[in-house]
Amino acid sequence: MRHVHAHSTHRPPIDHLFAALFGRREASPVARTHRFGHDDAAETETGDDVLAEFRAQARDLHERIVHEHGVFVAEFLGATGSGKTTLVERLIERAPADERIGVIVGDVAGDDDASRYRDHGVAVTNVTTGKECHLDPGLIEDALADFDLHALDTLYVENVGNMVCPADFPLGAQLRVLVVSTTEGDDVVRKHPLLFQACDAAVVNKADLADAVGADIDRMAADVADVAPGMDLFRTSARDGDGVEPLASFLDGVRAGGHDHHGHPHGADEHLG
Amino acid sequence: MHELSVAEALLDHAAAAAADHDHDAARVEAITVELGAATHVNPTQLRFCIETVAEATFDADLTVHIDLVDPRATCECGWAGDPPSFEGAAAVVPTARCPECGGPTEFTRGTECRLASVTVPDTPATTHATDTED
Repeated sequence: MRHVHAHSTHRPPIDHLFAALFGRREASPVARTHRFGHDDAAETETGDDVLAEFRAQARDLHERIVHEHGVFVAEFLGATGSGKTTLVERLIERAPADERIGVIVGDVAGDDDASRYRDHGVAVTNVTTGKECHLDPGLIEDALADFDLHALDTLYVENVGNMVCPADFPLGAQLRVLVVSTTEGDDVVRKHPLLFQACDAAVVNKADLADAVGADIDRMAADVADVAPGMDLFRTSARDGDGVEPLASFLDGVRAGGHDHHGHPHGADEHLG
Repeated sequence: MHELSVAEALLDHAAAAAADHDHDAARVEAITVELGAATHVNPTQLRFCIETVAEATFDADLTVHIDLVDPRATCECGWAGDPPSFEGAAAVVPTARCPECGGPTEFTRGTECRLASVTVPDTPATTHATDTED
């Protein structure tokens, strides 16, 4: 295993131009304006939209990992402490013995989550972002160098614990699973509508602690249905494994479908364990 | 703080456009960014990040214009229009719920963060004459 650092892909290829281009000189009296637009013959496919570029990179990753190598990729997102690692550990434990599993785990710092995954005997790459609050497609690309994609059936990607930034950075997975927990407060869903809208399925974890922390778990489920209509929702207590089976079956269904999980079908809602 | 990576990517584009042989500019004075309301990018932080990267790294004095783009969305039921926003948010946060049928919508506008224009000095870096306006 090696550590992949955030800066490895953030060096612009045209660094050497920057100092000259943005250097301070005497201001010119007249300025020209270069306007990107439809009449610009040099316009790139993404039209100088940097977020569209990240999305295009994610599509390339998806094409390579999922379609060329037949690897099932699921991304897990959510706040630090929501239970992402524990949930993926439960999924790894219930997998068939011959399933070849890899995990890319993102954290700002430290080796704690990677160490837990290694104890399960799966291939692990730890991506410490340093200061970045999310994984981006370039970091996944770097991390893939550690894996033999021909020798993988499943790749789990655990994003950095964050409820805001990952929304704009898809990573090429078949589905993005957002994990929230009752201990974050039962208003956590409505506080983060955009991230729910960017994901394909949701987990409300630590269901066993709802009463202890005074969280109304039904309200959380109603909020999910409100901000992301039709989103598949699972209630789990990952520490004990309760409710993990329906989530695992759902993932198996997406895997067996052989294609991507497109949107949220109307009416396909809550999966009660 | 994902605005920093977005800022770096935008400055990449600005540098490439200025250095393009048709423009051949020696430096960049201003950039305009079109930023969609359905993104997670905070416009105030984005402006700060662009200015800071340009200033701290390259000693530049760059003017940054950010134009906010209102979201548009469509639904399978046939509805298309301006999506309603969540109440009480400090910024415009559009919902992905169809106001007609309650189903999920797709954003057709408002997910962009696009370098719309780059302002460069009138005098090209090299001596040959070029048009001053595109």
